[in-house]
Amino acid sequence: MVFNVGSLRASNGSEDAGDDTPTSNAAEGGASDLTGEELVLGYPTMEDPVVDGESIVAEPGAVTALVGPNGSGKSTLLKGLAKQLDPDDGSVLLDGRDVHSMGTKELARKLGLLSQESTSPDSITVEDLVYHGRYPHRGFFEHVTEEDQQAVDRAIELAGCDHLRDREVGSLSGGQKQLAWVAMVLAQDTDVLLLDEPTTFLDLHHQLEVMEIIETLRADSDITVVVVLHDIEQAARLADRVVALKDGEIQARGSPEEVVTEELLAEVFRVDAEVVPTDRGPRVTPLRARHDDENDADAVEAENSTEGETRR
Amino acid sequence: MSSESVEAGRPSERRRSSRFAWLFDPRLLTTAAGSLVVVFLGALAQVSFGAYSMTFAQAWGAVFDPQVLFNAQAWNAFLLGGELPEVSTESLIVWNIRLPRVLVGIIVGMNLAVSGAIFQAVTRNELASPFILGVSSGAGLMILLTLVVFGGLSAFLPLIAAAGGATAFLIVYAIAWKNGTSPVRLVLAGVIVGTVFNSLQTALFFFADDIGIVQSAIAWTTGSLTGTDWAQVRLVLPWSVVAILLAVIGARQCNVMLLGEQTAKSLGMSIEKVRFGLSGVAVLAAAASIAVAGIVGFVGLIVPHVVRNLVGSDYKKVIVGCLFVGPALMVGADVGARLALNPVQIPVGIVTGLVGGPYFLYLMRKKQNMGEI
Repeated sequence: MVFNVGSLRASNGSEDAGDDTPTSNAAEGGASDLTGEELVLGYPTMEDPVVDGESIVAEPGAVTALVGPNGSGKSTLLKGLAKQLDPDDGSVLLDGRDVHSMGTKELARKLGLLSQESTSPDSITVEDLVYHGRYPHRGFFEHVTEEDQQAVDRAIELAGCDHLRDREVGSLSGGQKQLAWVAMVLAQDTDVLLLDEPTTFLDLHHQLEVMEIIETLRADSDITVVVVLHDIEQAARLADRVVALKDGEIQARGSPEEVVTEELLAEVFRVDAEVVPTDRGPRVTPLRARHDDENDADAVEAENSTEGETRR
Repeated sequence: MSSESVEAGRPSERRRSSRFAWLFDPRLLTTAAGSLVVVFLGALAQVSFGAYSMTFAQAWGAVFDPQVLFNAQAWNAFLLGGELPEVSTESLIVWNIRLPRVLVGIIVGMNLAVSGAIFQAVTRNELASPFILGVSSGAGLMILLTLVVFGGLSAFLPLIAAAGGATAFLIVYAIAWKNGTSPVRLVLAGVIVGTVFNSLQTALFFFADDIGIVQSAIAWTTGSLTGTDWAQVRLVLPWSVVAILLAVIGARQCNVMLLGEQTAKSLGMSIEKVRFGLSGVAVLAAAASIAVAGIVGFVGLIVPHVVRNLVGSDYKKVIVGCLFVGPALMVGADVGARLALNPVQIPVGIVTGLVGGPYFLYLMRKKQNMGEI
């Protein structure tokens, strides 16, 4: 697949698919929107919340990337959106409905989450694993339906792991495992997909495989994707919108060109880097890590320059 | 595209073929057949030998005695506790003493194996047993209390023991609960409750003034099938049917549970409800077996292991496999318990421990990573 992010990004996400008619939210099968309002998220063991009163809107049918350094609260925010973590305050709305008013299975039919660490018994086959993605669609006594089979076949094809179908998960490499897990969450057939660092720890080939899957979803425009990424360049290349977090606060949000700047990298990631715009989106060349003493003066400068358009 | 979908249709065909197609897995069928052979041989030995000596032919003549086999009154006596009809001595001994013991062994083996399998899924730990959440210690304490302090209630001992086990499980759950539970907290709470209850149980031994009471207590706390007859079958059968049925139905939940808490949750499983429900089923099975056989160790720990090694980790197959392998171990061990030191009978729990320990050692040596499923 050719990444032609630059030109795609100029247009609205819903028009990316070309021959698809532009979708609106009201239309049947339109992309869902997921909104977190004034979310306060923390863990029972910690005194202070990790994310303290942030709002985030996942643009319907588009890919939103959450970036930030380690411990910036991006995974926490994602868990909050996925109802894995109950917010101390604020609410998460899916198509205008509070996710806490929805049944767990009902929510799982609309919102899928790929966690960072997934474990499974070693002797389960890839196909059986993917079938577990149909769990929320099946009643307590219900058998596999034709719809289930089609969804599974589709997911396996989209994830490109048809050749692994009958292999046992325990015998796969890390990258192949991740593809199997992606297929499982795709089989869930949800309108909203949340992916927590799907490319971390993968080799280059499998990173690109996963990114291509997300690209396909993005072209589809029916699915709203929120993805946590470690690699800011990947985020710039993949996403329609980038949200940058630091210390649990959203520092910047907007299109990749707006967010991925040298100033933001200095402020949020504490690195000096060179950002060169290309047709595949901004190319980031990290130069060196910044140390605290030189931070202060530059931070003010950085803040001034980003404040105008992107800072809340 | 069209050629692709044709190819993709191949595995789907297999799935569509039948709802119960997975039952015909050759590994599962072999396991079941092998277990049935063991159970049959065990039953053969149990029925043929004993204090009242009779020949093979006599014993099996009695098993297929038409006077009993096709006698409604006899079955009424066995299953509902009615009056026994007039039959030969051989038939009476076989049908009233030896066969029901085998039957109770089969049911207890099923219960313990299924219970252990469920607990191993719930805690995602291969070393979990039916007694990991305090069931055995709760039952043990109540057994001692009944025998030593409330001697008048010993007629209700089976029920009191089962209730004690269930209560201990609830206490463990309450201790582990803090905005929900986790496998680790459940196991730790089980250890804590187990320690306290076991201390109390041991303390109670000092107040037993009769060696008979002590022996009876030991038989109960190590598990024994001595003296079981149709009354025990009647007591355990209804609960076991319910528990096993629920276990078979719950197998799919176990499978999703094994994907880890986060994944299960994101797939829409109400994890706390399912965990409590499955644990409840497992405790029901364990309590039912305690009520008739006391606390038989190791069966619930080892059988799910054996089955998983034989049929893989799909819990639908594991549960069904447990229904065969559990009885095989239990009936086989009871042959040893009853006949090895004839005329002395030892508690069957001692034999399962003697067989189970070395087998576990073998597993530990053979497998690289024990512990997590």
